[in-house]
Amino acid sequence: MTHHQQQPDQAAANLLARVRGQAPDIRANVRRLAAFANVHACPTAAVAFAARVDTNRVLAGTSMEMPYGQSPFAIGRGVAFEALLRRHGHAELRRVLTVGLATDFTFAAIENLREGYPPNRAGLRMRATVTQTRMAEIAGRPAEPVVLDGAVLQADIGGLPAYFEADEMAIGVGGQIIVGENKSWPVVDGKPTDEDALGAALDQAATYVLLGRRTLEHAGVDPALMSDSIVLVTPRNTGLAPSLHRQDVASRIRRIERLLGAVPDIRETAKSTPASVTFDVVADTTRPEGVRMEAFRQVTDELGRVYEPASCLTSCGFAWACRQCLFAAGDPDLVGGAVARALPGIASLSRVAELGQGAPASTAEVPAAVPLARAGRLYDEIVPAPVPPTAPPTAPTPTPTPDDTPRRTA
Amino acid sequence: MNTALEAYFAARIYSGGRALRRTTFRHVHLADPPLAIAMWRLGGERFRAAALAWGPLDGPFQLAVPGEPRNRDLYFAALEPFAVDLCARIRRVAASRVARQRGSVTEHIPADALQIVVPNKTTVNALGLLGRYLAYLSDRGGVAPHPALIEAGKHLRFYARNARVPGQALLVPLDRLVADHWATLLSPFEQANLAALDAQIEPGPGRHPFAASAAAEAAARIGPEPTEDIDRVTGSLLSEFNAHRGTSTDPTVTEPLAGPLREHYRDLIEPVWQLMNRVVARELQLTAAPSVYRRFESDRAAFGRHVDWVVNQGGHYRTTDTPRQAAITLRRLEDSLARYEADQAVEDPACMIGHLLDGDAVRGTVASLTETKVVVNVRRVPRAVIALDSPDPVTLPAGKELWWTATASGEPWEVQSLQHTSTGSRVFLILTARPTPARLPAVGDVITLSTLCTGHSHPWPMPPADPPWTHRPDTPLTEPEPIDSGDSEQPAAPVDAAAAEDPGRYT
Repeated sequence: MTHHQQQPDQAAANLLARVRGQAPDIRANVRRLAAFANVHACPTAAVAFAARVDTNRVLAGTSMEMPYGQSPFAIGRGVAFEALLRRHGHAELRRVLTVGLATDFTFAAIENLREGYPPNRAGLRMRATVTQTRMAEIAGRPAEPVVLDGAVLQADIGGLPAYFEADEMAIGVGGQIIVGENKSWPVVDGKPTDEDALGAALDQAATYVLLGRRTLEHAGVDPALMSDSIVLVTPRNTGLAPSLHRQDVASRIRRIERLLGAVPDIRETAKSTPASVTFDVVADTTRPEGVRMEAFRQVTDELGRVYEPASCLTSCGFAWACRQCLFAAGDPDLVGGAVARALPGIASLSRVAELGQGAPASTAEVPAAVPLARAGRLYDEIVPAPVPPTAPPTAPTPTPTPDDTPRRTA
Repeated sequence: MNTALEAYFAARIYSGGRALRRTTFRHVHLADPPLAIAMWRLGGERFRAAALAWGPLDGPFQLAVPGEPRNRDLYFAALEPFAVDLCARIRRVAASRVARQRGSVTEHIPADALQIVVPNKTTVNALGLLGRYLAYLSDRGGVAPHPALIEAGKHLRFYARNARVPGQALLVPLDRLVADHWATLLSPFEQANLAALDAQIEPGPGRHPFAASAAAEAAARIGPEPTEDIDRVTGSLLSEFNAHRGTSTDPTVTEPLAGPLREHYRDLIEPVWQLMNRVVARELQLTAAPSVYRRFESDRAAFGRHVDWVVNQGGHYRTTDTPRQAAITLRRLEDSLARYEADQAVEDPACMIGHLLDGDAVRGTVASLTETKVVVNVRRVPRAVIALDSPDPVTLPAGKELWWTATASGEPWEVQSLQHTSTGSRVFLILTARPTPARLPAVGDVITLSTLCTGHSHPWPMPPADPPWTHRPDTPLTEPEPIDSGDSEQPAAPVDAAAAEDPGRYT
């Protein structure tokens, strides 16, 4: 990834538009990037990302469409929390920043970039320019801090320009710039009520720090003026009263730098994508589900897929469909990479079952076949009879303890 | 987790079309019937149970639906019957005590403990947060909350914290119970869905477990976190409820108005209740492992200490552990985990398979049993030596201590030497204690020895009462403000994703 844009390659863009077909598109943002980072090893996900395909909506109307919506109450809470921070000239935001950063924000200039700019790409471009200009002012050591509400950072992601919107950016705090992120989940006793959401928020803020450094560098300002530590503004306890938490994200910044480096370039992706690959039929809601799923299978067979349940099921709208394809093929990846990696040279679960029953192994299969055969032999020795799914399982009889004697029937 | 065993399980389930037992015993105590709790929250509202169902699992549930859970008066009025009932059940169970002798000390611990089952680990966390909230309520507006709410909060907080203890049975998330006892085609991430797990085990006639669990995953709603479709319905019903009640919190006004919301949540909870019932009934059919009784005795003792502290002495718990408490807790959890894993493997041969494949254990036939003399300190003492023929190649260093599963709480055997044969290995082991009949296998017996010991763990020194500076906060902790300080705020209006400029921002 580079910071300032090269001219988008029109031919590549056209090719990827053909790949997208009538599939819904989505612009790159920090959450899309975070989701892609979780599945970046998958060739199908890489092509979908480069072609800006909205994987959550491609399979709409099929049984493979994954639920991805959000509760209106959760959105309402987020909206209310942000409104609270902005109310009365950002009074609450000033208060938490003053307390949390030990710098007086009472008279700080707060520039709300979410207002006064058109809500489109041109507006984002203008906000990115303002953000860069304000950030460069850090070199002049401003007397009062400046807060940008809705700062926009610009970057090339895989050869296409993308805009990233940070909730806050406080410029001139101890001679540094600090990124802030607002989240509406509460913190209780100094601990988050949702640890996964905390991790995602810190990753998000770390991405802004990295992009901010590149922006400073482009403006000829020392990128080290962008602080390694970020602030999270969250409600505390049962209400929405905000509190600020400062966190060092240096290690996350390094990880995100590596991940951004792994984003495929659209020109390369366009060149290497076979001409037959398109999500057009997959997304065609007028066609029967069978036809769409067959088209999906063909596309993913052609491109290749890497399925890792935990990351795919949380980050990619294709996960259920990929899982179905893997099941149909009996692919060991179905149950996760750790198991699949233990099976080098074995292509299918049916073959694994045979080897587990002691079938002779080919030379390529031997390393995996020996422990499999041993596992099968031990299991059959110890648990000899298969357990019928609806009958009570049989077991060796230990002395039942008084309180655990079974008394119920299904 | 041994990957070869997991791969074997996956392949057998894929080919055979049925889930497999990971264990031959049940390793967690199950009451008959346990008290079950299922709940739904409003999206994003971590402290607000929009519906809470409870009751003995073998009967119908009671349902608390506050209507508007973000209104303190309505919320507490709805939770009060639950709190009163929970407190009464806990006090009743804790009242009957039995004597337990430990060394020279006689303790009186509860004869039983109230067991709670919930559908998943997320509900455990939700109950913990609800407990954190209720246990520390302040007298807002000069009105003291019902004492049962505060006591129930302390109980819920205790249950949720105790749920971290490996093998405990006071608060059982059923997804973990099933995943620990059954091998399925589901990855650890997918195992968080109880309906999918259940469908893998009982997929229905002619249906593959994969197809059954995929369908269950798409259709089932377990809670406590609502999906968008659920909260869309909740949103419209709640708007109607609030519009009709105005600002009233009078039960005669709000109770009838909450009817549609109650039905909405009853429809959501009914299948979850049936699912929990089916899961518990199935697991109850399996015989409990012998150590289940001992672990539940520890649970009863912890339950008794908690009730003594909270009910009899009116005590409070700290909201945040001191560094010393945290260190002690961590050590106890680690010890409990090691002991639980050892108990499982020693008592249940199916649980030993992973250790055998990992090389932590050896299984074979006793080929010979001889006696020899060795010098210990200055005396020659008798010792037993066995030759164990394993059908598999064994790699264990000389001097490695192994415990025979029949005497896993006793003295170990020590590896003397290894001989590799064409069919496997012959392992020579010497008993590190005087040979007695109970300590010795017979020639021809198939036995298993492992690194797992179920004897008493070594005592460990308690951390100093005054922790070193490395474990002290930079600044003294401030007194936490009341957790319910935001209870009088106006609830946020729901916002449809289609109406929000960038709904993803609020995840």
